[in-house]
Amino acid sequence: MSQYVFKMPDLGEGTVDAEIVAWHTKPGDAVTEDQLIVEVMTDKAAVEVPAPVSGRVVSITGAPGDKVAVGSPLIVFEVAATGAPAASMPAAAAAAAPAAEPIPTAAGPRQGRVMASPANRRRAREAGIDLSTVAGSGPGGRILRGDLVAARPHSAANASAAEAAVSGPVVQSRPAGADVSAETSEIKVIGLRRLIAERMSEAKRNIPHFAYVEEVDVTELESLRLHLNLSRPADAASMSYLPLVVMALIKVLESFPQCNVLYDAERGVLVRHRAVHVGIATQTSDGLKVPVVRNAQSLGLWEVAAEIRRLAERARSNKATRDELVGSTITVTSLGKLGGIASTPIINAPEVAIIGLNKAIERPVVHQGAVAVRRIMNLSSSFDHRFVDGYDAAAMIQALKELLEHPAMIFIPKVKSK
Amino acid sequence: MRMNRHSRLHLPHPPARPGEAPDFSYVQLSPAGAGPRPDVNARARDIESLSVDLVRVLDDDGNAVGPWHPHLDPAELQIGLRHMLLTRLFDDRMQRNQRGGKISFYIRSLGEEAVSVAQCMSLRPGDMLFPSYRNQGLQIARGIALVDLMCQLLSNTRDMCKGRQLPVMYHSKAGNIFSISGNLATQFPQAVGWAMAAAIKGEDHLAASWIGEGSSAEADFHHALLFASVYQAPVILNVVNNQWAISTFQGYAGGEQRSFAARGPGYGIPGIRVDGNDFLAVYAVTQWAAERARTGAGPTLIELVTYRGAAHSTSDDPARYRAKNDFEHWPLGDPILRLKQHLIRLGEWSEARHQALAAELEALVASSWKEATAFGTMTEGPRLDADLMFEDVFKEMPEHLQKQRALMRAERSRSPEAGSEGT
Amino acid sequence: MANMNMIQALNSAMDIMLKRDPSVVLMGEDVGYFGGVFRATEGLQRKYGEHRVLDTPIAEGGIVATAIGMSVNGLRPVAEIQFADYIYPGFDQIVSELARIRYRSAGEFFAPVTIRTPCGGGIRGGQTHSQSPEGIFTHVSGIKVVMPSNPHDAKGLLITSIEDDDPVVFFEPKRLYNGPFDGDPTKPAVPWSSHPKGQVDEGYYKVPLGKADIVRAGAEVTILTYGTMVFVAAAAAAAMNVDAEIIDLRSLVPLDVDNLCSSVRKTGRCIVAHEATRFSGFGAEVLSIVQEECFWDLEAPIQRVTGWDTPYPHAFEWEYFPGQARVAMALKAVMELP
Repeated sequence: MSQYVFKMPDLGEGTVDAEIVAWHTKPGDAVTEDQLIVEVMTDKAAVEVPAPVSGRVVSITGAPGDKVAVGSPLIVFEVAATGAPAASMPAAAAAAAPAAEPIPTAAGPRQGRVMASPANRRRAREAGIDLSTVAGSGPGGRILRGDLVAARPHSAANASAAEAAVSGPVVQSRPAGADVSAETSEIKVIGLRRLIAERMSEAKRNIPHFAYVEEVDVTELESLRLHLNLSRPADAASMSYLPLVVMALIKVLESFPQCNVLYDAERGVLVRHRAVHVGIATQTSDGLKVPVVRNAQSLGLWEVAAEIRRLAERARSNKATRDELVGSTITVTSLGKLGGIASTPIINAPEVAIIGLNKAIERPVVHQGAVAVRRIMNLSSSFDHRFVDGYDAAAMIQALKELLEHPAMIFIPKVKSK
Repeated sequence: MRMNRHSRLHLPHPPARPGEAPDFSYVQLSPAGAGPRPDVNARARDIESLSVDLVRVLDDDGNAVGPWHPHLDPAELQIGLRHMLLTRLFDDRMQRNQRGGKISFYIRSLGEEAVSVAQCMSLRPGDMLFPSYRNQGLQIARGIALVDLMCQLLSNTRDMCKGRQLPVMYHSKAGNIFSISGNLATQFPQAVGWAMAAAIKGEDHLAASWIGEGSSAEADFHHALLFASVYQAPVILNVVNNQWAISTFQGYAGGEQRSFAARGPGYGIPGIRVDGNDFLAVYAVTQWAAERARTGAGPTLIELVTYRGAAHSTSDDPARYRAKNDFEHWPLGDPILRLKQHLIRLGEWSEARHQALAAELEALVASSWKEATAFGTMTEGPRLDADLMFEDVFKEMPEHLQKQRALMRAERSRSPEAGSEGT
Repeated sequence: MANMNMIQALNSAMDIMLKRDPSVVLMGEDVGYFGGVFRATEGLQRKYGEHRVLDTPIAEGGIVATAIGMSVNGLRPVAEIQFADYIYPGFDQIVSELARIRYRSAGEFFAPVTIRTPCGGGIRGGQTHSQSPEGIFTHVSGIKVVMPSNPHDAKGLLITSIEDDDPVVFFEPKRLYNGPFDGDPTKPAVPWSSHPKGQVDEGYYKVPLGKADIVRAGAEVTILTYGTMVFVAAAAAAAMNVDAEIIDLRSLVPLDVDNLCSSVRKTGRCIVAHEATRFSGFGAEVLSIVQEECFWDLEAPIQRVTGWDTPYPHAFEWEYFPGQARVAMALKAVMELP
């Protein structure tokens, strides 16, 4: 009999740690290879981890909610000496990290000492990254610059789903002999909620939000929407304002490319994107998720609508993949009827703008000189005031308003000028 | 004659060691006034005898005799006596000051006062001097203020070297005395270069330099003679053979086999061996060499035979390697006493005047010392700013030294004791 | 402007200074009538006379010492030491005297002497004709140390050195006298006429001490070098397509710390290259400074490219000489290339 130490695998793209969501095994259990033993969650995705070997579980590391660093021991198995797959024996040539490990891992820091070049130590220090929590993918476990980039905290609103118990068990306490008013319950802030909390905090902390609210007369837009619904394709869902706003937004961004950028703080650059990947803030039972309509600029109105619907469904049913949940260059948020008259949405870092749709409602307004009942919807936007000046923000929203109030203009191609 | 079958190594020994009676029978002497005084243009090979004999003017009774008699004005001789006596009294006082902890180091020139004073007086103010550290008579004879010399010894706020040099390493730009180096013999060929420049420029200034016989072993001695000979530079090269170089007897500089002056003819340069304690002879020989140089006939090597009356420096104890009281037995006497005796013989001096002069000069030394200490001593008073350490390394202070100076200042502000001790 | 090789440029500098300043004199072995074994002083004695351009005995100690004496008497000597390999007999006078005269006399005396000497290998000259002892002199406070790598710099730096009131030891990489050399001995020699720095102003001009020359701007790695290695490093980096910033230090003391550090801060990677032996070479000082000033910008350890720590061998010239292959290995290491 010999022991096999299974370390937290690198779950892709430089993830540096993963949170234990749920154990499916315990010490003493016999497991067979490929059997599900633990669920973990990274900041990108939920992962089911299969047993790498057949054997008996000797010990496990970490309770649900704990973060375990990639490359650190997760489970120790006892395996039959002969029956153990060759993979579990360390390679005879000792110097290198065991090539036998079934899942390639970055070697952890040697003996508690972190290896990183002076430049990377400085970067880590400036970014507030604790090097001891970063797994190095360089020779001998050296932390490379890319490892640091992956270690940076991500945008607040973008999180992937977890399996059951993402919010952790609810612990109730009832003080002995106390009356009901003293009763409390504790919910551990783990999983998706923790991620949302961290990212919201970070966005609010780092980004000076500039709020701009404008009312839009969507009477014409409503008229168009109703007409579209009358003649919609058989499989298409009912057209809402959201796809129409996205189409208008894409058009407006052609003239305001400075609002379609991502800010790379580490390098101090704004990365301007030609493509528009629109994040659609989506409420799910687990919490807020932001699936992304990729390359929205190349989609037609019904395609946008279909994609929004598809993504929302996947997000709500916890089937959205990591790729569907990352990479937005601008975000739109709408609470529909619950939209209120104004809101202050939090920017989905590292983007620099977020457009929020408030509720559309009939109001008496002055229209062409006389009081009329028109359908009014407010747009509540937030901009990163470091990079978007008030003038540009206002101009952009005014351009958006212009399009929404004259919706035909959304679909009229720009005159190409030489 | 028994043939020696093996090569053998000769090991020079001084004639007397501690506890033995001094023995100067090895010193080749000549009668006073005996040697010829050749023309300043004579060829070196024709006057070689001067390099092994001994030029003397004063006989043992204090009379000036022979062709080398310079016929100096008694007033001039009195000035010479004054300079020599001041040199000695200054030396005595500074020696006592060192023993009393008032200065850190000193080098006396006891017994060698005539070498510096007489030679200096026979040269012109525009002639450049390249001395060793035992030629303080030059400073005195050129009128450098005692206060200035003392401030250098104290490394105080008026130190001409701004704290950079060991005591006695003087210089005087105004007095045309080059900066003294602790490295032996380096000044010898530098003097030749200076003289070459004077000739290139067509001036009639000349350079004179002094080294001890021990230092003549250094390569720089050879370079000086070689370059002086090749270019016939207007330079006077003086080997002060005071018999000792710390504990190294002159035999180790080759003095047993040949006189130092005799090296001159080997390079085609006249060598003149002179009684270094005879003020008149020293003056006369130097005057001859100066005239030779100024008239384009080239360099001269002068060996001044004298005795190092005291220790090498305050760090040396000669009783450990040579006979005690040996100076008292030196056959060529004491330069100050001999000039005094001569002047008295001429009726131009007296014991009373000598005492009075001594008292006057002692007072001068004392008052100068008082004045000098006002600029700081080793234990109290104003001190030189350590920032000076970084100046004059280059004409303009480069960045890296500015940074280092800043670091030193920062260091000092941390620990006031560090870096503030005296010289 | 004229095409000049380094010898002609040096000759031009001395010619101009002899004319411009009557206190300038040249001296050295074979420099007068013969014009110098490398022809650096060709024609100058004929032009200015034997009192301005002097032949000397074969005595480096005497040459330096008399130059000092002359300079104290108002002349401005330019002394040639025939090969840097022979400078050591003059070392005492350089270190103990020349370097300290201003300091120990508190500026009352100073010695504006320039000592010129050919150095460096790549010429199959063996131990006594190939040394690069510049590092030893950089360790002595009070003297300036210069090594140009091309005719334009050589002339301007020599004029500046002669006019400088501080003593300067001026090293001339003899391999570069006739043309740039990229370390490949199999290629035909390239003359200076084919190189932009072989275009030299015929008149008086100065190149300041204490200022490095950015020979090639680049972004990926900084190569700090001087002498022949400027060309060897440039060729090696080009062959590997590395965008190297190549800095010719040319003035070792005083050193242009600002420029070399801002380059390393920019690129984060550094190679120091010199022909001289490795242990305690000048490269060690440069590297130390880079480490102190630019540590937090270093992506990888600083590499040195140097001669080996052996006396300069004759038969193994090209294994000894730090050629492109050695530079390439250093580039590979510092750029962390596979």
